[in-house]
Amino acid sequence: MSVITRKLIAKELYVHRWTMLSSAAAAALAAFVCAFGRTAFNVGAIAWITAVIASGVMLAIYGVMHERKEHSLQFVLSLPISTRQYVFAKTFGLLLSFMLPWLVASASAVILVLASPAVNDGLLPYIVVFCGFLLANFSVVLCGALHARSEGMMTAVIILTNMAVSLFMFIVGALPGLRDHMAGPVPVWNGTVFNVLLIEAIVLAIAVTLPLLTSARRRDFV
Amino acid sequence: MTATKHIEMRGVAKAFRFFALHGLSFDLEPGQVMGLVGPNGAGKSTTIRMAMGLMTPDEGEIRVLGHPMPAAQAAAKRDIGYVSADMRLMPNATLGWHMKLVSSIYPGWDAAYAATLVKRFNLRPAQSTHTLSHGEHTKAALLLALARRPRLLILDEPTTGLDPVARHELLTEFMDVLRDESRSILFSSHNTVDVERISDRIAFLDRGRLVANSDKEDFLERWRRIEVQLPPGAALPELAHIVGHASDGRFHTLTTNHFDERQLAQLGPAVRNVQRMSLEEIFVANVMHHREARDQ
Repeated sequence: MSVITRKLIAKELYVHRWTMLSSAAAAALAAFVCAFGRTAFNVGAIAWITAVIASGVMLAIYGVMHERKEHSLQFVLSLPISTRQYVFAKTFGLLLSFMLPWLVASASAVILVLASPAVNDGLLPYIVVFCGFLLANFSVVLCGALHARSEGMMTAVIILTNMAVSLFMFIVGALPGLRDHMAGPVPVWNGTVFNVLLIEAIVLAIAVTLPLLTSARRRDFV
Repeated sequence: MTATKHIEMRGVAKAFRFFALHGLSFDLEPGQVMGLVGPNGAGKSTTIRMAMGLMTPDEGEIRVLGHPMPAAQAAAKRDIGYVSADMRLMPNATLGWHMKLVSSIYPGWDAAYAATLVKRFNLRPAQSTHTLSHGEHTKAALLLALARRPRLLILDEPTTGLDPVARHELLTEFMDVLRDESRSILFSSHNTVDVERISDRIAFLDRGRLVANSDKEDFLERWRRIEVQLPPGAALPELAHIVGHASDGRFHTLTTNHFDERQLAQLGPAVRNVQRMSLEEIFVANVMHHREARDQ
């Protein structure tokens, strides 16, 4: 990785520091709220999901769409980089920017399951695959943002990926390998869990690689 | 040994849905300031973006500082300072942070010159970019481009929207850059006063075509407006190189793009006045002449 690519990745982390920190704090607080009874769990869970999704959407909108719309993209592209290096730095910079709040949110959810007597430890595999899904889902949002040439297209990407969260919860939560053990006292790490994680890893890999193959080869970059 | 041309464009074409740039060819030599002049929508920004490697031409060849564009844009941009009127710095960051970022990328960053420009442009490094006015934003972007000490400055309408004092400050800085004869500037504008002040070569662009490309002095020397009052019943003689003609009875105003004493000799005592033309007048006459020629 070239020096300038590293500097541009660091630039993403710096520019989005407040989004990262506020989302991480909101997700940790929401997980903490979940420990105080059933109603608090429901409220906290919604706030936790919202914090993670909102951080992803904000990173994609401000990191990609606004940079293009507000013409700060021209400043970045005036630096000695190729479009491929720019797309690489943007993809990994924003992925790392998302990973801080995502890691804090995931860790706080895992701690909640393991530390709270009110939450069954059997829920842990579902929490893990759900966290994996949120990371893969962000990579799809980011991939969409790097390809979208209009706000309408970006809005469509955001709507579809938000709908995917509900679909994931219903469909994957209904898989027998996960559903049957959620209320159990111990976590069960079976083939279903690993298959879902594998699919999420494949989606993540494709979404992260695709912009380097397509967007970076765009003939007109501004 | 011949010095590498700073910009070479050969037969460059680029088509969009409602606009096309046709067969653009020009060179920018080291030490030259080229003003790219054209009305809105002439293709100035497209030309500049292709020179920066941000757009790929459909046809033709572009080399900047000897590097083929856009393929070798990363190498070329090590020696280019680029600013456009609508360029904005990064949000959630200060000018000082930008200066630190750019200085860490360009080994030739001149910290003392950057500090001078901060004072001269009345900027504050601690100021967040979202609080900068349009003029301050442009000055900040120029500071970041100039303090790299680039061999080539590419400026896309940098003075647009600036007050006269700010424009004067920027143009003075551009002229300062050219004290070093190995540096050059490609500068687009529809403000002919700015272009006339700093350019030594001028290219007129209109509706995607390069309609003229020459030294500034050459334009100013060749173009004249000749006022003629013919005697009653006399006809205007056929003159070469007349690109504009307006008449009111016996009074005629002729615009020539190749002024020659022989034209005056042909007109004889009918000549009432010969006027030099400003760059703006030359630009308008040139564009109108080419539009009429194309429409015929």
